[in-house]
Amino acid sequence: MSDNTNLDFEVEALSYMDQLYAAALRMTRNSADAEDLVQETYAKAFAAQDKFTLGTNLKAWLYRIQTNAFINSYRKKQREPKRTDADTVEDWQLAAAAEHQSAGLASAEEQALDALGDNTIRDALAELSDDFRMAVYLSDVEGFAYKEIAEIMDTPVGTVMSRLHRGRRMLRDKLRDYAAEQGIRDYRAEAQS
Amino acid sequence: MPKRQCEEALNKLFEYIDGELSDEELLRIGSHLKECPPCEAERRINEKIRLLVSKAHTSKAPHQLRERVLSTIQMAREESHHST
Repeated sequence: MSDNTNLDFEVEALSYMDQLYAAALRMTRNSADAEDLVQETYAKAFAAQDKFTLGTNLKAWLYRIQTNAFINSYRKKQREPKRTDADTVEDWQLAAAAEHQSAGLASAEEQALDALGDNTIRDALAELSDDFRMAVYLSDVEGFAYKEIAEIMDTPVGTVMSRLHRGRRMLRDKLRDYAAEQGIRDYRAEAQS
Repeated sequence: MPKRQCEEALNKLFEYIDGELSDEELLRIGSHLKECPPCEAERRINEKIRLLVSKAHTSKAPHQLRERVLSTIQMAREESHHST
């Protein structure tokens, strides 16, 4: 490989460090492990540089390395029950409550969401299990397509869709709970003043 | 049947928001959303959650991490030069 292509690879790979760190933080949920994970990711990426075809999706390739590294090293340490991959397309289609809310409730929900702080959003996402959290993060924050998320998480697209659907549903419910808690706190504070 | 259109729109709402639908589906569901305020309200809520999640997650890599990674790369580079 010529020096120029090496340089292109390096420059582009390093440009994703902030994003990889942010993703690592979401996965490991602490900054020390996140730093270790990112360093491990870059070490692996640079060692495997020859396996990467220039011009293809480097960002997704790096995320794939990082996700694998996370699953292999960090998830083992955490006492999390292994999720079964019984997530099928039919599963989430059945789960979809294809109903409307009343206009009043919808409007109230929108307003409640606007009042939530970034911390609350991050806390709610952190409460999701790894697979759901990862899928939602890769889609909502990184803007990866379903096909790319499937490559990164090494699962079929149907599983990605199922995880997204259920993860987002859980997230929305949690945000509703947080908003309600905040509403009760505000109500009490006002009642006491 | 209006109800069936709502069902389709709500079932495909995430794909709609995520930009994963074919042009034909995009148009069909898009036009339903224009005509159906409750479905449109659902879209707004889910779109908003997506935006909030995106907004809440911008982190810069710590300075010391940058340095660690750069020195890791430097070592890898030196190793590959020695082995050629």
